[in-house]
Amino acid sequence: MPKKALSPLRWVRLDNAAKIYPAARRKNWSNVFRQSVTLFENVDTNILKSALDITVKRFPSIAARLRKGAFWYYLQQVEQAPDIREEYSYPLTYMSKEETRNCAFRVIVFGSRIAVEFFHSLTDGTGALIFLKNLVAEYLEQKYNIEIPLENGILDRTAPPSEEELEDCFPKNAGPVAYSRKDTDAWHMYGEPQRDGFLNLTCFKIPVKEALALAHKYDSTLTVFISAVMMKALANLQNEKNPNIRRQKRIKLLIPVNLRQLFESRTLRNFAMYVVPEMDTRLGEYSLEEICSLIKHKMGAEITKKHMSSVIATNVNDEQNPVLRLVPLPIKNMVMKAVFNSVGERKSCLTLSNIGQVKVPDIMAKYIKRFDFILGVQAAAPYNCGMLSFGDTVYMNFIRNTKKAELERHFFAVLQGLGLSATVESNRNER
Amino acid sequence: MYCIKCGVGLEATEKKCPLCNTEVCHPDFMQPSAEPLYPSGRLPKSGSGKMAFNGAVIILFFIPLLICFFADISISGRLEWFGYVAGALAVAYVSFALPLWFKNPNPVIFVPCSFASAALYLMYINLATQGDWFLSFALPVTAVICLITSTVVTLLHYLRRGRLYILGGAFMALGTAMLLIEFLIGLTFKIGFIGWSVYPLVVLALFGGLLIFLALNPTAREILERKLFF
Repeated sequence: MPKKALSPLRWVRLDNAAKIYPAARRKNWSNVFRQSVTLFENVDTNILKSALDITVKRFPSIAARLRKGAFWYYLQQVEQAPDIREEYSYPLTYMSKEETRNCAFRVIVFGSRIAVEFFHSLTDGTGALIFLKNLVAEYLEQKYNIEIPLENGILDRTAPPSEEELEDCFPKNAGPVAYSRKDTDAWHMYGEPQRDGFLNLTCFKIPVKEALALAHKYDSTLTVFISAVMMKALANLQNEKNPNIRRQKRIKLLIPVNLRQLFESRTLRNFAMYVVPEMDTRLGEYSLEEICSLIKHKMGAEITKKHMSSVIATNVNDEQNPVLRLVPLPIKNMVMKAVFNSVGERKSCLTLSNIGQVKVPDIMAKYIKRFDFILGVQAAAPYNCGMLSFGDTVYMNFIRNTKKAELERHFFAVLQGLGLSATVESNRNER
Repeated sequence: MYCIKCGVGLEATEKKCPLCNTEVCHPDFMQPSAEPLYPSGRLPKSGSGKMAFNGAVIILFFIPLLICFFADISISGRLEWFGYVAGALAVAYVSFALPLWFKNPNPVIFVPCSFASAALYLMYINLATQGDWFLSFALPVTAVICLITSTVVTLLHYLRRGRLYILGGAFMALGTAMLLIEFLIGLTFKIGFIGWSVYPLVVLALFGGLLIFLALNPTAREILERKLFF
């Protein structure tokens, strides 16, 4: 009898950034984010399942399950695509350890929307968007019998994945000198918690042209401008909650930076770092011009190969320490969780992640109404915000686990003060 | 449509302003209805809710236990009948509440556990009342009923088809067990064989036979279904 062939399923070590997420998760919190696309027509789940079956084979590091080794976690390609799930009343429901052990991403359909929720160890926002685009491309090709050109992130789904796509790009781009981790604490937002685990989603839709015109007026990019509006809103909220200026804390915004262009990488794993612009409100009130300038200079100084290499080196040095490598996984988990809880989320008020302008081939665009990018809330802080632009609209998704839309209200007040129009929608109509 | 309080533009899906919670209203026109962004009222099952529910069940079991404990002490001056109450509550907890702690409780495991707890309880009563009926009567009867029930539960749990055969066979086995019960009663309590067990045996055997007949005969099953559906 011939020997049974070894499983052809691929497995990969977690990349440097992915290692913290399994350790940091809690009983009711895991680091999950969502990329979704809304079509003009309702989704046919049978065709989507067929498209998913093909797509998962093309992305072995994303269509994966999280497994435990003796010293580290690793990702193993899933044998088959997961079942398509129905939508709940809120996005990013808790992804349990059991779920990530079986499959660390979900595909959810609601009406004309296809959403994919990823455990952050699989990939970052950019990798996830490429996965979603390819899933949708495969779906549209099967449904409408069209041929979509291989451009704007659409890959040949019949070809095997290249090694470049599966590469952990952190170690090879680590610089010779490690950057210090010392940093100041940020203001910790708070509010009346939503006890039942419900996450409130508020989506702002802002016209791209108007937003860009205003950004240019402030000599900024869209990311810088929106970040400045967010920091202004955060400062106003802190003023409302804590009017005593001398007892106020710094307003800090964590802005993820896609490193693929900077380091010329094509990886589909996590490959992002961040910059954290900050302002000390005890020094006085900042105008929007000042905040824009502050963010712009911070980004200009830090989004460079040299600086990012040194930040990467800090994380990679810890990972490659031979003593730490030999520590068993449960102990590593305890240590990493303790570090994450004491440091991880204290250094910023919230994350504002901008995927940028989403481009798809023209033949595909006519079937697509919108894209959305939704971050999960932080473990200990109530808010997060994901944004992207598609067509002529910026979609900003605020998510929170508190009852009142305080930050959103201040954010809109700042926009309104600038004369920028915005439309909102939410997931809490019946509540 | 715009919010009359904060001025933000509102999508047609919104019934209240998501920012300031003001009702959407305009004296001249109605907000058009649209597909909501997310379905309403569809929530995932909550693990912490389950913990809270199971905790509440434990408290519910403890309340009568404590009341009986103090009542027994104050009435009798010592623990006289409290053990029976505690045993009965323990059997009830093992049978009905313990499986709730598990995500997918397997009845193949929990049914024999329930019978085992019942057997232990009967043994306690036997010892407390200084009876000699446990080994010759209670234990074999519990064991036989446990065997029949566990077999049925296992077959129903793991086999997708043949439910009528399984239930038919179970009723017949239960009828036969009646003969054994009467025999054991006679043996333990020195009562002669009077033959009462023949009546349930006949009824259960007939009912079991009917179920097997229905399993074998789809036409009869369809007629019966047509007549008896509700």
